[in-house]
Amino acid sequence: MIDLQQYGAWQDMAGVTARSYQRMTLNTDDLAQFWRRCSLSSDFWSRYSALFVPVTGPPSQLSRAALESVLAYLLNELFENCAKFGGGPLGSVCYQAWIQADSMTFQLTNQIELVQQAPFIHFIRELLENDPDELYFRRLEENAEVNAKGSGLGYLTLIKDYGIRFGFRFSAISDQSVAVEVQAHVSMKEL
Amino acid sequence: MLAVEQIKGDEYMVEHDPGAHTVSFKGTIRLQTSDEYLPIMQLLQAAHASAVGQRLSLDFRQLQFLNSSGISTVSKFVISARKQDTLQLNVLGNRDIYWQQKSLGNLQKLWPKVQIEII
Repeated sequence: MIDLQQYGAWQDMAGVTARSYQRMTLNTDDLAQFWRRCSLSSDFWSRYSALFVPVTGPPSQLSRAALESVLAYLLNELFENCAKFGGGPLGSVCYQAWIQADSMTFQLTNQIELVQQAPFIHFIRELLENDPDELYFRRLEENAEVNAKGSGLGYLTLIKDYGIRFGFRFSAISDQSVAVEVQAHVSMKEL
Repeated sequence: MLAVEQIKGDEYMVEHDPGAHTVSFKGTIRLQTSDEYLPIMQLLQAAHASAVGQRLSLDFRQLQFLNSSGISTVSKFVISARKQDTLQLNVLGNRDIYWQQKSLGNLQKLWPKVQIEII
């Protein structure tokens, strides 16, 4: 039996017909060794992906520059999370993206140690079950007192300010290691 | 004349001009941890100390990107300024930089006295 747990806006992408499909695999250690690799990877894919939309479209649609800015923030947060929290023997980061007519789905897959799974699920539940606006400001006030690693501000900003929907899936690899897939669904519509 | 203080990284610069009571952010800031943001926080605190009773401006108009740790650092500074409540804080943004349109307004929600100008 495969142990699978999924949360939020998780979508099975296997049957999706995309206008373009992208995939890249990296090593977690490489990202952690030179932090700028997170930024380089996110800037490359955000520019590459934003080219699928016109420089200026109808007012209801994100312009190319706006979309690129959203994706640069999103992908940088996701690559940084992989570099910060990745663990276990496999140590890979897989980036995938499905570009569709009016939305884009990005998925980052990496591995964590089994002991990290329960706190991460707790964090995800809190993220998905609370009002993002209220949680964002509560977290900032709490962080003003204590420095918390992984405060979730990146996710909260993306949900609250950019309307991005997240899905998460966990699957056991061994009794020590768990694969984590994070999906981000980005609408091309201006909020 | 008061000396301008600068923090420079590969892709960014943060500059405090004590004469103009302004801290300007330029480039792309995506540091890894709150420890790495400490020099920027200290510069902000020094700028705050030298502008008590007056106006301090945070100028983001030339800042292309700031990651969530950076947003957290700036927010923490705004909360600390709110608690002290000894100066007027102004925030300058650039409407052509999308994240600034979307997220700079959050600073005013942390402290309603912050004046935000996106130009």
